[in-house]
Amino acid sequence: MDGIHDLGGRQGFGKVDVDEKEEAFHSDWEARAYGIVRAMSKPSDWTLDKFRFTREQIEPVVYLSRPYYDQWLQSYAALMVGSGVASVEELATGKSDGGKAGLGAPRGPESVAAEKRAAAVQFDRPYDKPFRFDRGAAVRTKPFAHKGHTRLPSYIRGHEGRVIEVRGAFIFPDEAAQGIERAEPMYTVAFAAADIWPGEDLDHAVHLDLWESYLEPA
Amino acid sequence: MSANQEKEASDIHHELHSHLPPEPALRVKAIESLLIEKGMLDPATVDAWVETYSEKIGPKCGAAIVARAWADPEFKARLLENGTEAVKEMESAGWAVAHLRVVENTEDVHNLIVCTLCSCYPHAILGPPPNWYKMAAYRSRAVREPRVVLQEFGVDLPDNIDLRVWDSTSELRYFVLPQRPAGTEDWDEEHLASIVTRNSMIGTDRDLDPSGGDK
Repeated sequence: MDGIHDLGGRQGFGKVDVDEKEEAFHSDWEARAYGIVRAMSKPSDWTLDKFRFTREQIEPVVYLSRPYYDQWLQSYAALMVGSGVASVEELATGKSDGGKAGLGAPRGPESVAAEKRAAAVQFDRPYDKPFRFDRGAAVRTKPFAHKGHTRLPSYIRGHEGRVIEVRGAFIFPDEAAQGIERAEPMYTVAFAAADIWPGEDLDHAVHLDLWESYLEPA
Repeated sequence: MSANQEKEASDIHHELHSHLPPEPALRVKAIESLLIEKGMLDPATVDAWVETYSEKIGPKCGAAIVARAWADPEFKARLLENGTEAVKEMESAGWAVAHLRVVENTEDVHNLIVCTLCSCYPHAILGPPPNWYKMAAYRSRAVREPRVVLQEFGVDLPDNIDLRVWDSTSELRYFVLPQRPAGTEDWDEEHLASIVTRNSMIGTDRDLDPSGGDK
């Protein structure tokens, strides 16, 4: 989806606020929102990419202006409505019309410490088919775009780069956002910024992790 | 990925935007109350997450990893080879990261981390990202004009430095191993960790100041 979230290389957003105070949370509600999102029960089909795709569909002006954790919460609220777990009315009032989500008991505080080492979610999968590219391969990103979720940013489409690492097979986000779990090879690809934005006197390299479906031989 | 589904989610967003309270604090409160009533949330678990990410997980965890890498060349080799496995050796390294990739700054190389599509960041090691990391200015510019962005952070990179920007488009989480400054040769890990800044592990800081520590 060519949405507002796809910000790489866009211009006109001004300077970075480098004077921000270094603290975990900048307000009580922000801390609360973060904690809620981490603690809440989620149906198993709310994959990370489904969440991302939901956030990508926040109205552009809201996406750019609303605080980040507020957007997280808004995205979970939208997922709740979309999954039939809650209605807009219930979310607006904070009062349940009586229905339970049916997701079992909520996780207790002991679940937090239990996640310390155990619960990092793995996104790589076994894969027994051949990988199309080796380290060092010259590749070109496909020019495609589609209406769904993708992790191929628009600024890199149609450009030539070089595979610097073969990472293994990872769940393919474009399909994971639709609830389909299929792994495919994923590669770290280096691009010369001067090729992406010619005429700007650039000398750096940009690296992206890209799935095999995004690439063709150069 | 039907167009219908896209329409549906944006319609829901629109409805939520029109009906939920305009103040973030009130929205958060309404959603928390509802989740509790729905049996989806234990408020004590929210408290525990907030406490963990306010006090236990944060840049000091990353600094401990950097200090260990500076002090122990074999650990550093393991960290660069397989960051995910290497940090499991350390109790003070924060929480598990499924796929951690550590990139090393040297005399000739500088690394900078960004996520142009959302705000992927090694939360489990560095805590919540700074606001600027999540905002459009950084996300749009870090890939296109990183030297200018670095100047805004007070980092003037010499022209001959090999500048590598990492756009976190997958579930690999990137982490910069900054350079160890001269004059710290006989320091222990705790002392070394005290001079490691959060920004140096994102790449928006470079030359760490040996007089900047707390000892």
